[in-house]
Amino acid sequence: MNYTAVFYWSLAVTAMGLVLTGIWGVLTRRNVLRIALAFTLADTGVNLLLVWTGFLPGRGAPIMDGAVSSVVDPLPQALVLTSIVIGVAVAALFVVVGVLASKKSGSADVRRMKELKW
Amino acid sequence: MIRNIAGLMITAAAAAVLFAMAPGLDVPGELHGPAGYYVENGVEETGSVNLVTAIVVAYRGMDTLGEVVVLFSASTAVVLILTLIPMGSGPSRPSPVVELTARVLPGTITLFGIYVVTHGHLSPGGGFPGGAVVASSFLLVLLGTTGMPGSSRLLTAVESLAGISFGLMGFWGAMLLGQFLNSTVIPEGTPGRLVSAGLIPLISLAIGAKVASELSGVFASYRKKGGEA
Repeated sequence: MNYTAVFYWSLAVTAMGLVLTGIWGVLTRRNVLRIALAFTLADTGVNLLLVWTGFLPGRGAPIMDGAVSSVVDPLPQALVLTSIVIGVAVAALFVVVGVLASKKSGSADVRRMKELKW
Repeated sequence: MIRNIAGLMITAAAAAVLFAMAPGLDVPGELHGPAGYYVENGVEETGSVNLVTAIVVAYRGMDTLGEVVVLFSASTAVVLILTLIPMGSGPSRPSPVVELTARVLPGTITLFGIYVVTHGHLSPGGGFPGGAVVASSFLLVLLGTTGMPGSSRLLTAVESLAGISFGLMGFWGAMLLGQFLNSTVIPEGTPGRLVSAGLIPLISLAIGAKVASELSGVFASYRKKGGEA
């Protein structure tokens, strides 16, 4: 494996690691704010993975001002720009709903939030 | 204990799925599909040097309009839910460091945010990141005081105006060229100049104003709740 391939795959492994850390955190943490944090970690990992799918080693940013002759795929970057903004909005909503639920149950522990159980 | 083991097992299963996809992929060398088209024709068709902005604002402008709507509904929901939460005491006085920083830096940060918004078609940036930068300077001002800077009516007015002008610019293209959000209803100019790329800088400006006022409104609503109760 040459340097380019190692660099290329280490990006993917980092992104997958972020997604997996997020999944693990959502499943095992009990504090609602930590769950929100784990959720944003997974979100970041998915974004990184999407940008990585458009990444071509050795090419420049998709800005056609003559500085670079060949560029990476601009489409995933544009989609991830959308995804980041939606992620921020969802995270803000997540945290606010979490604060509301913890005020109602008197604790940030999801085990005490009876409204979530059926 | 059971919960931790189950969590680890599900995570391991997800890891197996993710890594199973990996060997099929190779280090790619060429662009294909729509990416190749955008790289070939993007600059001539939109006049925007930055292809990411060309896609976000021109080719997929409809998605961006939907995204702005999602952002709007999320920020509305945040403000609504915040009115349901009983809050404790108001904000405490900020430390002298924060207070001084909040007096010195916001002008520079806002200027940089405006630069990022207006140069979105030339360099990395555009409406969303630039608007977030401007909103961050508002957050800094908010952190440096215990009161409420600015007026929330002005924020609402800017937000509504930006949203309406985004929609109207979309219909402008629909009327003249039969294509919603076509950015070439005004001349494209020379690619690479500040005044170029047709409607793209104007739409970026509308997006930037909307994002900045929306995020500032969310920050302001946190303060309002903390101060009142």
